[in-house]
Amino acid sequence: MATPTAGAALGNELRAGTVAKVGSTKRIQELNGMLHSNRPNVDITRARAYTKVYRETEGMPSLMRRYKASAEVYRTLSDNVYDYEQLVGWPTKRIRGANFAIELHAHWLAEDLPNLRDRTYDPFEITDEDYKELEEDLLPYWKDKTMAVQWGHYVTPEEWDRAQFGGVSDVSNYLCANGSHFIPAWTEVIQHGFVKYYEEAKALLAALDPNDPASIDKRIFYHGILEVLEAIRDWGERLSASCARRAETEKDPQRKQELEKMAEMMKRVPWGPATSFYDACETAWAVCFFLFVEGAGPSITWSRFDQYMYPYYKADMEKGILTPEKAMELIEELYIKVTSNVWFQSTQMAYIFGGYYRYPHLDVGGLDENGKDATNELSYLCLRAMRYVKTTSPAVSIMLHQKTPDALLYEACELAAEGMGHPSFFNCESLYSMLEHRAGGLHGYSNYTRKDILKFGSPIGCVEPGAEGLQYGHTDSGIINVAGCVFAAVTNGKKATGVDGSLCGEVVTYESGAPESFQSFDAFYEAVKGQVKYAIDECHANLLICEKLLAEQFNLPTFTILLDGALERAVDATAGGAKVNIGPTMQMVGFGTLVDSVAAIKKVVFEDHAATLAEVAEACMKNFVGYDALRAKLLAAPKYGNDDDFADDIAADLWKWFADCTMVLKMYRGHYCDAAIQMVQSNVGYGAMTGATPNGRLAGQPISDTMSATQQADTNGPTAAARSYGKLDFPAYTNGTLLNMWISQSELLAQS
Amino acid sequence: MTATIRDIPLNCPEATYVEPVYKEAGMRNFTNLVRTMLNDYGVYHVQFNTINKETLIDAKAHPENYPTLMVRVAGYSVYWTDIAERVQDDIINRTEHSF
Repeated sequence: MATPTAGAALGNELRAGTVAKVGSTKRIQELNGMLHSNRPNVDITRARAYTKVYRETEGMPSLMRRYKASAEVYRTLSDNVYDYEQLVGWPTKRIRGANFAIELHAHWLAEDLPNLRDRTYDPFEITDEDYKELEEDLLPYWKDKTMAVQWGHYVTPEEWDRAQFGGVSDVSNYLCANGSHFIPAWTEVIQHGFVKYYEEAKALLAALDPNDPASIDKRIFYHGILEVLEAIRDWGERLSASCARRAETEKDPQRKQELEKMAEMMKRVPWGPATSFYDACETAWAVCFFLFVEGAGPSITWSRFDQYMYPYYKADMEKGILTPEKAMELIEELYIKVTSNVWFQSTQMAYIFGGYYRYPHLDVGGLDENGKDATNELSYLCLRAMRYVKTTSPAVSIMLHQKTPDALLYEACELAAEGMGHPSFFNCESLYSMLEHRAGGLHGYSNYTRKDILKFGSPIGCVEPGAEGLQYGHTDSGIINVAGCVFAAVTNGKKATGVDGSLCGEVVTYESGAPESFQSFDAFYEAVKGQVKYAIDECHANLLICEKLLAEQFNLPTFTILLDGALERAVDATAGGAKVNIGPTMQMVGFGTLVDSVAAIKKVVFEDHAATLAEVAEACMKNFVGYDALRAKLLAAPKYGNDDDFADDIAADLWKWFADCTMVLKMYRGHYCDAAIQMVQSNVGYGAMTGATPNGRLAGQPISDTMSATQQADTNGPTAAARSYGKLDFPAYTNGTLLNMWISQSELLAQS
Repeated sequence: MTATIRDIPLNCPEATYVEPVYKEAGMRNFTNLVRTMLNDYGVYHVQFNTINKETLIDAKAHPENYPTLMVRVAGYSVYWTDIAERVQDDIINRTEHSF
């Protein structure tokens, strides 16, 4: 293999084992070094378990096969225990492994396996033995059975292209990342352990009436749940034995004692109730990686860690068996361990989203169930731990309220000044309002009570509102490129030539009118809105098919166990087992580009009459070649992000339009769709598929990111930008909004 | 009244961390910006990149000098060296604000 020059191949080489030994204690420094001395690698344990079970269960009910496969994964998970560890268990045989979901990835991996080790973005190591098994045995079994392949059976090849590489509406991300963006019932599972669910499922099974037709499927459900729980119980016993074996041969007396303590702990949790802060951390780690292995997406969320962990912290402090330093050391170990969970993506997705990141979320602050400030010592320690350990995960964040103490906000801002991108800042009041209306449709309400929201509400993933143990549904799903929509509005439905993706130069949405046909700004504006609505409706139709497939074939027993009331309902998470079912959702990308394009046309074409819309359309089609003067005029028009109502009024109106079009759509499981604007770095990938836009942006260049102003267009400082953002209706985006801002470090730190 | 971190006597003799020196006025502006934007204007979420732009430009040219540099892409933090060049370019091209 040649010496890498770019991408993660280079990053891995640079960091290997030497430079990342940071942390509050020697133990943490060593664990951090161990994390970075391992390259991301593919683990085929899960793939092997699924293939074995699926081969053995041909003809059995689909849910039974999935549940048996999940149980088999727990039975075959590694029992490795490494030096310096206090928390036990790994999702993979090697550190920084990806125990990937073959039933989602096989179709592309069967083609691209030879490139996996050397691809520029997100390369993965794999042993020759595992490579051979994948190539010859596992991938051939699955390559024609993945969700994406099955989705293709429901649509025409042309619809497939439009929804995957057409560049306007897209479901490909969703089909490769299911089983994600979830907050399990942390408080319950830590307090009672999995044994509680085991007893509950046994009792519910025993109470079934075989003369009731509803009992037929329920019986299969409970038998499957019990098999999964028994496998979880056995995993704990296996890991306890593994710690005990290590203790026997350990020479260092102090480490020997630690290993004996770990062996004892694994007999208690996660199967049984946590009796200490240490136990509770172990359950928090084990449950997190169980869900990462069972699902395939990037975000299993720790949510309000400082709240559900505080009783254990406080009790241990009072007993004198814990110090803030020891607590912080455990928190740092959790951060290292969760960073070791790398995300496995297709080569095409890695090109857009690369970096191996997953984003388990960890929130501090907010309100308690009585509406009082909930800040405690752990809120500070969780933020401070990140300064010491400097890991990419989890996404730590502060839930800010009017009542949040300035000291906690200041601690969060100090962390932000360090330049790692941590933490995120969330506004509780907007969050609570979003949850009140989550999946409730236009002007409707969710099933959440006020108490549910105050006690359990927190962000998931990047920014999506969720609630601990009460909500299921993938939030990171349908994508609408609204910059593509405005291009289509000026070109009568077309996609540009010479850009990435398929269908270049063809009609990719619908013919909303030739540019010369628009006699007024209002008429043109209707076409823009029409294009946005068309893309949303098309994406919705595709998402319905996805949801049907997932409910029928992508069942998730561990997620289901950790949803409040799902066992009693005997309904899998994917089929609607949660109290509040949500998603998939509709996410907008390129908002700033859309707003600035519409504002530029309003100003240059319809107010100044400096060009016709047909000329703008021609200029965009030709990527402004020969149209320098027109481009300069378009670039000089008012831009979103400067506290200028000319652009901001358009922003506020189109913002609401997108949400309104989304929230009237009913999803497969009967609830309504939620709008979001958060689609991470996809503005680069979608920009590459989008022609030149009327704001003066050239073809193929990134469109604006998330809800932020267009790059370099917000020239009036951070306060003016903030005032522009403040004109938008945030509660209307019931699946969350994401804003990137950049403040110079030289403003914040004396030496940088 | 909840203790602040400064009231929790953290004693970490083995720690590698060195606390930077904060600029008082800049940090005050920064916290006020967050408070106002979220609690007064109702913005739901914000996150910040705070690495200076010239540092990122240098890191793109000399990645070997920045093995552990992290940036916020959107919703997640990632090592600078691990992201695609065109994503690096997009981050560099964002608007860097000062007060």
